[in-house]
Amino acid sequence: MMNYFPDEVLEHVFDFVTSHRDRNAVSLVCKLWYRVERFSRQRVFIGNCYAISPERLIDRFPGVKALTLKGKPHFADFNLVPQDWGGYVQPWIEALARSRIGLEELRLKRMVVSDESLDVLSRSFTNFKSLVLVSCEGFTTDGLEAIAANCRFLRELDLQENEIEEKKNLWLGCFPDSCTSLVSLNFACLKEINLVALERLVARNPNLKSLKLNRAVPLEALQRILMRAPQLVDLGTGSFVLDRDSDDSETYRKLRGTILKCRSIRNLSGFLEVAPRCLPAIYPICLNLTYLNLSYAAGIHGSELIKLIRLCGKLQRLWILDYIGDKGLEIVASTCKDLQELRVFPSDPFGAGHAAVTETGLVAISSGCPKLNSLLYFCQQMTNAALIAVAKNCPNFIRFRLCILDPTKPDPVTMQPLDEGFGAIVQSSKRLRRLSLSGLLTDRVFLYIGMYAEQLEMLSIAFAGESDKGMLYVLNGCKKLRKLEIRDSPFGDMALLRDVGKYETMRSLWMSSCDVTLGGCKTLAKQMPRLNVEIINENDQMEFAHEDSQKVEKMYLYRTLVGPRKDAPEFVWTLV
Amino acid sequence: MGITSEQHSSASSIDSSSDPSAAAATSSSSFCAPIQGNNCARIDLSTDLRLGLSISSSYYNDLFPTPTTTTRVQPLNWPPIRSILRSAHLDKALDHKQASLFIKIYMEGIPIGRKLNLFAQDGYDSLITTIAHMFPTTILCPGADRVHSDKYHVLTYEDKEGDWMLVGDVPWEMFLNNVKRLKITRADRC
Repeated sequence: MMNYFPDEVLEHVFDFVTSHRDRNAVSLVCKLWYRVERFSRQRVFIGNCYAISPERLIDRFPGVKALTLKGKPHFADFNLVPQDWGGYVQPWIEALARSRIGLEELRLKRMVVSDESLDVLSRSFTNFKSLVLVSCEGFTTDGLEAIAANCRFLRELDLQENEIEEKKNLWLGCFPDSCTSLVSLNFACLKEINLVALERLVARNPNLKSLKLNRAVPLEALQRILMRAPQLVDLGTGSFVLDRDSDDSETYRKLRGTILKCRSIRNLSGFLEVAPRCLPAIYPICLNLTYLNLSYAAGIHGSELIKLIRLCGKLQRLWILDYIGDKGLEIVASTCKDLQELRVFPSDPFGAGHAAVTETGLVAISSGCPKLNSLLYFCQQMTNAALIAVAKNCPNFIRFRLCILDPTKPDPVTMQPLDEGFGAIVQSSKRLRRLSLSGLLTDRVFLYIGMYAEQLEMLSIAFAGESDKGMLYVLNGCKKLRKLEIRDSPFGDMALLRDVGKYETMRSLWMSSCDVTLGGCKTLAKQMPRLNVEIINENDQMEFAHEDSQKVEKMYLYRTLVGPRKDAPEFVWTLV
Repeated sequence: MGITSEQHSSASSIDSSSDPSAAAATSSSSFCAPIQGNNCARIDLSTDLRLGLSISSSYYNDLFPTPTTTTRVQPLNWPPIRSILRSAHLDKALDHKQASLFIKIYMEGIPIGRKLNLFAQDGYDSLITTIAHMFPTTILCPGADRVHSDKYHVLTYEDKEGDWMLVGDVPWEMFLNNVKRLKITRADRC
């Protein structure tokens, strides 16, 4: 029936189909739909920048306006991927610029961005509106100057946790006076900022809804900024201290008054430095908060932290340090009935036994917050009984990431592995998409995952399992698996090579410090030409032993339509 | 395999905060159950951990089923936390947890004094409670009605300028900044 409609009608219908997956599905129906869909697609998501080339992107989607690109593997976040591995955005920006694509939004994660890339970006796309850089590196404040100066209609500049070399502190002043379109600005990862330029910028951008400051913005400046921007919805404070010895009650009183006028704030973060006695100033905001991120607020703990939490009755997402303790989590459980996402970060990652949360806190949360669907929990220990209780209380997990600081710790009560506990989680949360395991684990946990985790897309394994069977259970059972990352686990060639076709159904596989050998990887590469099988060698050890029986320290493989990448450094071998 | 891991620690970008010896320095006391006849194997394991070698859990299972304890020497690049978050907290950890401020505290009439870690308290209430456990008297809380009597004591401190002041008048952080030592004086002296 649909084939009798003119293309414009199809296009109009497709306008309502917004998710990438749905649009991908639409494009597979028939040639006509493929054609209409590709010309009308404006938002493209590329989960692995090496899976496809910029030229093919432009060829298929000439109307692309918003592009998301991801570069390095996830384990790069934990120093497992060496510098100069790759993930350069330069070729993408050059190609898009050459083809006169009307790019308006660019979102990059774990990519290497140079000042030159930013410069070309800023000059090539007249309607460029939004730049979001997450965990990127390779650029300096010079690149930011170009963005500020040249993107006339910039609405969003969001710098999340990037490594940026700070040169002159001028970039913020490069926004012209005519720039009044800003909606979102986040520079929390920088160390310095030009305060005067900042205040002027905020004053002339009345549509600013999201503002995340850095450590260099003192409380006095925050007060003045909030005066100008009471319409903010999303606030990241910078430094939240008043000088100990100076009696700055005037500033404090002004701040309290100003904050009372900020009735729209729903998301609060920052507190990179904080004097707890200043916290009461934000109490009025707490009542309406839906997202609170205190993961950098090492200065808020003890009773001050509890007082704050008790006020946040509408919280849906809470990111916090484990200073909160099990007792504090009980208070969260009784206060935040709408809680959907909880992340508890370790305050003392290398400490011995001082980490403050255990299974008790998690059980309390699960008991009080049945809507919980997303968890990241760094803890001292975990028990099977607790995980079973959590599974029963919260059957709606989409993301469940547990990290026990001692990675092979068994259940401290029974001394058993945590297989049963995680088994309960995957069995009860039928919509689970992401899972990270830790603690003492045998092959059994993987049997459960293969059996029950039908919707699982991403699995992170460390120091777990006993034999190849473990990995096989997962590869055979999890039909929707897209990303599998494994470190320090006894999985070898037998598991790797059992079902080579599986890897073309996935985005990528990472294995480090496992038992796969060079020979096994070579075999895989030979059988699967549409996979790039990359071996990372950081030392010369592989030089003197090109033996196939040698175990491979780090292997990263991914499906691709464009063959081995040409920008691989000398320590990355792509096997063919 | 073992040698590989040890060598690669110099090549990859490991910041000093992930140095296992730093973790060893802040070890807690041992609380593990006695291990039957596996002592030698256990020592090997600790050595392995200190070298940052990766050990699979089956290896652990074979050697001993008891939990790892004493010095929790972390494997390389564990826990999986981003280096930005890691270094932010290490600074704070040094400020709050590992730093201490031990000051002397005397009670009037008792020649031998005690020492007290002010950074281990989180406010005046906690301070008074701790002191109450250390000395045999009732200390009037700051703000309570001043009773001029020789039965009760109050807490005073010597500040940076050498003056003796009543504890409790200024914010806690300001107090920490200025206090040099404490004295429990008779209430009728104030």
